[in-house]
Amino acid sequence: MPDKHLSSQFDADLNSLSSRLLEMGGLVESQIATAMRAFTQMDLETCNVVIENEKLVNDLEIQIDSACTELIARRQPIARDLRLVMAVSKAITNLERAGDEAERVAKRTKRLIEAGAAHNINVSEIRLSGQMAISLLRRSLDAFARLDTIAAAEVVDEDRLIDEEFRGFVRKLITYMMEDPHTITTGLDMLTIAKAIERIGDHAKNIAEFVIYIVKGDDVRHIPHADLLRAATKE
Amino acid sequence: MSQIANINQAVFARRQRTNKIGLTLSMLAMTLGMIFLIWILATLFIKGFAAVNLNMFTMSTPAPGSEGGGLANAIIGSLMLIVSCTLISTPVGVLAGLYLSEYGDRSKIAAVTRFVTDIMLSAPSIVIGLFVYALFVAQVKHFSGWAGTIALALIAVPVVVRTTENMLRLVPGSLREAAYALGTPKWKVAFYVTLRAAKSGIMTGILLALARVSGETAPLLFTALNNQFFSTNMNAPMANLPVVIFQFAMSPYDNWVDLAWGGSLLITFAVLGLNILARVVFREKAQG
Amino acid sequence: MKTMFNLNQIDSEGLGSKVNMNTENNSQSSDAVNALEIRNLNFYYGSFKGLKDINMNIEEGKVTAFIGPSGCGKSTLLRTMNRMYDLYPGQRAEGEINFYGNNILNPGQDLNLLRSRIGMVFQKPTPFPMSIYENIAFGVRLYENLNRSEMDERVEWALNKAALWTEAKDKLNQSGLSLSGGQQQRLCIARGVAVKPSVILLDEPTSALDPISTGKIEELISELKNDYTIAIVTHNMQQAARVSDYTAYMYLGSLIEFGKTDELFIKPKRKETEDYITGRFG
Repeated sequence: MPDKHLSSQFDADLNSLSSRLLEMGGLVESQIATAMRAFTQMDLETCNVVIENEKLVNDLEIQIDSACTELIARRQPIARDLRLVMAVSKAITNLERAGDEAERVAKRTKRLIEAGAAHNINVSEIRLSGQMAISLLRRSLDAFARLDTIAAAEVVDEDRLIDEEFRGFVRKLITYMMEDPHTITTGLDMLTIAKAIERIGDHAKNIAEFVIYIVKGDDVRHIPHADLLRAATKE
Repeated sequence: MSQIANINQAVFARRQRTNKIGLTLSMLAMTLGMIFLIWILATLFIKGFAAVNLNMFTMSTPAPGSEGGGLANAIIGSLMLIVSCTLISTPVGVLAGLYLSEYGDRSKIAAVTRFVTDIMLSAPSIVIGLFVYALFVAQVKHFSGWAGTIALALIAVPVVVRTTENMLRLVPGSLREAAYALGTPKWKVAFYVTLRAAKSGIMTGILLALARVSGETAPLLFTALNNQFFSTNMNAPMANLPVVIFQFAMSPYDNWVDLAWGGSLLITFAVLGLNILARVVFREKAQG
Repeated sequence: MKTMFNLNQIDSEGLGSKVNMNTENNSQSSDAVNALEIRNLNFYYGSFKGLKDINMNIEEGKVTAFIGPSGCGKSTLLRTMNRMYDLYPGQRAEGEINFYGNNILNPGQDLNLLRSRIGMVFQKPTPFPMSIYENIAFGVRLYENLNRSEMDERVEWALNKAALWTEAKDKLNQSGLSLSGGQQQRLCIARGVAVKPSVILLDEPTSALDPISTGKIEELISELKNDYTIAIVTHNMQQAARVSDYTAYMYLGSLIEFGKTDELFIKPKRKETEDYITGRFG
């Protein structure tokens, strides 16, 4: 915010809220990256790291939510400030769920390792969409930090690509499982992992939508992309 | 730390000393004033009490040389003069004060009225008496109660005008605005709201004006003069306490001197009573 | 009688022309009736311009709030609506204020009649120096001839409207000044309501009151708007957010933004508005 409130404590509180969100975002980002690494390398240790750190993500959600409530009680924010607090409160839910998805990836990977299944299915799609998901999340948090609605609109648009990758992977998986029923158990775990990544993309998209809400005041959830773009770029 | 404490002590001690000096001086001043007040009242009381008896209220002023007598005619005469003065000066004074306060902010007439009122407030009462004499008494060729009333009214009206205007001005503008906001026409705002709000202050002003004229002697010398006998005819010379006191105080007759003291006591207590009444009225209404 | 309109023509239901709003601050539905339409209003204190080219509507049956920093002209604007400024020489207004079609800034306008149709309650509670009953009867008597029982009814009705009847019914003959501050203010509201105006103007009505009295009066305002059009000036933004349907933000004599309260407080159109309501004073 270029302008300062009359109360500098209020400014400090709002800034603290934003930076804690980014901090939580960074943690979730690294969780996802670690989970993807665990999957690609099929490493048990790495899986356990992710599963343990999930607790930190949950704690942060509770803390930040509490800070939001306190701010509302003490300051009764309105207009832009209110939209920021509402958006932060919702965004951390998305982040927490993204963290859950990262944990799910780690747990399923662990199951795969313990079942002794190797990569008998080509998982390049998963790796690719995993990278895309991490990038998308990073970019959405970036857009939040800079309150950049154009960047946010791009994130919303590109989530589509992850969805396409996911659908492609599902088609391939079905083919494999039909050919060789023995791969079904493994295949289902793979499916879960792919789905988790697809969901992470959705969460990044939600956070980007909130960025537009904060800056422009329009709730752009569930509307056609053309309208969203118009809302993001209007004066 | 202790250095600061020491500095404070010096300052504090000096302040206390100054305080004590100031207090002592004001107490001395007050005592001085009180001494004289008490002395006057005591003298009045002692000397006048001897004359206070039933006769004072029932018998008229005695002829030179005759024994006994009272102040009945003077008391009644004074009362009549004061009452008629009030009946004239109250409406005139209040209405004039109302005009000055509510309507006269900008007009030339108002400015002139105020100026004249201020002058008359401090005009010597003997001059006023002389004025009425020249204009009225000399024309009709006899003294009268009415002339006395006019003279007293000329003294009382400026007081009433001044206090009325001041009391009305004290009424907060927000009260008037509230009345206007209901669609009240200006004259109703003035009469029913503003005047009513200043009622106790205005009554106080009237009482104080009364107290002032009760003791005026000089104007009555030229207008109502005096009457040895009991008379309620306002068209003829009227007996009144101040002039009686004037006549009797320096006379060689003992009973006259006594009556003079008695009359002084009466007037003093009347004025005192009016003042106290004025204060009580003002305080009561201010609280209600 | 130099009136611009007849008392009988106007009642609190409001007979007005339906207006098609084409101004830039268009936030009303097309069948909204306006009690007051302000056009090109300029106001002068001597040579100082207190209001600059104000254009806006006060919709019938709704509460319109005016907010803004001190000296922005919100009280000045309110006081033009009932020509209160006319009491003071050197203050003048130019432009138009149409009250159900009649321009009340016309020199020929009967001010007393106007003020009986557009009432006002002030910041400081100002009960008249009379009994509670008389306080209310006073205004009614100015324009209506009611017998004793009709007047009793009217007084009771007005006190009920102001949520003061239960507290005052046993002391109608006591002085208005014997009430508490919050009660006095409600008495002033009852007094204003008793003459059945079309519009009630409230100039910071709760500034001098404690939170509970304030709450009672805010509650009153939401009930009153069913029968009256209300314009309220307040320096308490949360109050404006709580009680009003429309809000106008003013600054240095100009109207910066006007719109539905919900919109103005969540998504204001002008940065100046947002800065003010969020507490950012550059």
